[in-house]
Amino acid sequence: MRRFILFISLVLLAFVGCRTDYDIADVAPAEFLESGEHHHDEHTDGETGDEHSIDEHVEASHVGHSHAASTRNRGTQWFFNQPWAAPFIWGKLFRDAVIFLALAIAIFFITGRRRKR
Amino acid sequence: MRAVFTFSLMTLRMLFRRRTLWGILMVILLALAGIASVPSFDVSNQGRFILDFGLFGIEVGALILALGLAANLFPRDRETRTLMPLVAVPLSRWQYLLGRFFGAALVQAAALLVTCLGLMLILLIHKLPIPGDLLPATLLIIVEGWFLLSTVFFFSFFTSPPLNWPLTTMLFIVSQMSVAEFAGLMPSTPGLMRTVRMLLPHADVFHIKDPIAHGFEIEPVYFLIAIFYGLCYSAFMLSLALAVFRGRDLK
Repeated sequence: MRRFILFISLVLLAFVGCRTDYDIADVAPAEFLESGEHHHDEHTDGETGDEHSIDEHVEASHVGHSHAASTRNRGTQWFFNQPWAAPFIWGKLFRDAVIFLALAIAIFFITGRRRKR
Repeated sequence: MRAVFTFSLMTLRMLFRRRTLWGILMVILLALAGIASVPSFDVSNQGRFILDFGLFGIEVGALILALGLAANLFPRDRETRTLMPLVAVPLSRWQYLLGRFFGAALVQAAALLVTCLGLMLILLIHKLPIPGDLLPATLLIIVEGWFLLSTVFFFSFFTSPPLNWPLTTMLFIVSQMSVAEFAGLMPSTPGLMRTVRMLLPHADVFHIKDPIAHGFEIEPVYFLIAIFYGLCYSAFMLSLALAVFRGRDLK
């Protein structure tokens, strides 16, 4: 029984060690990464009628990096490569939590049995 | 569990009587006041700066509290010879560990809530809005603090307090690193480094100061998952601590 629990513990450890990757930039689906990349949206200047990209507009006017709160902005992919913004790893988080809980219970009983002997 | 509850209350009272707790709490509150007093030089969104650095200050405070509260508990019990009578009759070793942990965890949570209230007060004094997610963010830091507390208990069973401080601090720093950054510390053995990093906790799970400072809303289910993750990892660290404690000869 003790060997069986030890075997299960090792399998669980290997499962966590080999399968989980939290580097969101590495494991994110393509659509997630694309959604935060630079947007070169074309828009028309109201006064002159010139068409130019937002990048050019920002560089030309030196107005800084202001944007409305709670909206994605260009060049901020690092900001969204955090667990709170990546729902596709929440399942992994939950799974790992369950595995660590199972390991904790296994260690508790294994070390308790050793002491009783 | 009644024995654990009683012993944790005894631990709680003992820790509240110590000056260490009040000293650390004063330092954290002074640091928060210092952050808020940095002039903005007319830069807009000073509230973001105060929130971001304030929550970071509370997080570092959680580390210092964990070390200040728990690094000395087991060594002192052993030195004053109160440990042997405790584990000989009324308590088993796991009850001793859980009692000490729960007592320290309650004190740490109370102290961190006070620092959160301090940050709210600072925001109010500067006439800045208090984000609704500030309290949940503090709750996540409390859970991170409990993980650090369990780590301190783990190290305290086989190291001295002066060694416990750097070891826990090192784990705190490493747990902030991404897998790629950690593997980059020793590029010659990337496989081993990746495996080691996967087993270490991911403290970035508890960090939501960036979205709060920038006005993003966080889904409630994320809070639940992050709290569950932190509690399970703390249980894992406590089980490792118990394994070391059970194997120790206390004579």
